[in-house]
Amino acid sequence: MRKSTSDNIKRSDEPIWWGLFSAGGVCFAVFVPAAILFIALLIPAGIMAPEALSFERAESMIFSLPGLIFIGVVVCLPLFHAAHRIRHGLHDLKLGKEQLNKIVTYGSAALLSALALVGFVIGIM
Amino acid sequence: MTTKQLSIQRYLPEQGSAPYWQDFDIPFDDSTSILDALNYVKEELDGSLSYRWSCRMAICGSCGVMVNNTPKLGCKSFLREYEGPVKIAPLAHFPVEKDLIIDMEPFLDHLAAVQPYLINDSGLINGSGESEETFKQTPEQMEKYKQFAGCINCGLCYSACPQFGLNPEFLGPAALTLAHRYNLDSRDQGKKQRMPQMNREEGVWSCTFVGFCSEVCPKNVDPAAAVNQGKVESAKDMLIGIFKG
Repeated sequence: MRKSTSDNIKRSDEPIWWGLFSAGGVCFAVFVPAAILFIALLIPAGIMAPEALSFERAESMIFSLPGLIFIGVVVCLPLFHAAHRIRHGLHDLKLGKEQLNKIVTYGSAALLSALALVGFVIGIM
Repeated sequence: MTTKQLSIQRYLPEQGSAPYWQDFDIPFDDSTSILDALNYVKEELDGSLSYRWSCRMAICGSCGVMVNNTPKLGCKSFLREYEGPVKIAPLAHFPVEKDLIIDMEPFLDHLAAVQPYLINDSGLINGSGESEETFKQTPEQMEKYKQFAGCINCGLCYSACPQFGLNPEFLGPAALTLAHRYNLDSRDQGKKQRMPQMNREEGVWSCTFVGFCSEVCPKNVDPAAAVNQGKVESAKDMLIGIFKG
């Protein structure tokens, strides 16, 4: 029973989305809470000095190589993680069409990521 | 002896097109399994009830049914575990042939698709299909797949899997676990033949890691772990494919 039908079996493109989902999941679990802690809790609560994120300081931090990495791990990858969850959630609820859902969810993630990167490029220029 | 009410979903296609519920009062004690209860119904109350069973000790995998909407082996769950009336229905997500008997054919097709047997042509005596000596394996090599080798093909994980419920083309937990089990076996050389099936949309990638398959598995095989390790293998296979061109 050793059929060689393996050539005409279509490979799923899911590893790409699953890879982005996994990477985004790590970022969501590790970096996003840290960012929320500093930006949304410690500084507004006055536990950290507001000057830590003064405009000049924030600007010089974000428009640098570490800033680019920050955008990647706190914005872009979590976006793809969320898009993946929404897409599979739609599939589970039998909403929409598989191909359309893919385009809308990952397309939105890609668009918003591109927007963040364009902002970065404008900032360093 | 106290009794318990058993509601059994009946389906007799030659008498009516719709399934219906039938109630029975079953005398029981601490040792009465669901399968014992079904046997009591068949022998004492209604001989027309149909269901599958054989070994009575969670080895044959024949007596899977939904007990209060959860897939269970009839022989491995007991009336004492349930408060109030107990609802028994055929395994979910499978076509029902009669009463509690489901059509296992789709499941068996999926099993066959992943070639769940040792594939190894080395050391074969010319033309005989037999090898000169048995394949050797260390305990460490066996440990790698042993967990995934306990499957009894009962189908409970398919009833538990919402993705199989949505898409019966999904190869499903047991088949993907067996594929992974043979891929991990040091005596096997068939991984290349199995990967195309795992790489398909209906292979490992239809799984969304709900994990209920591992909860209901009566042999603690943990198919959810196997399928998700299979995703890593499939992703690696894709990467290698890209680099090899």
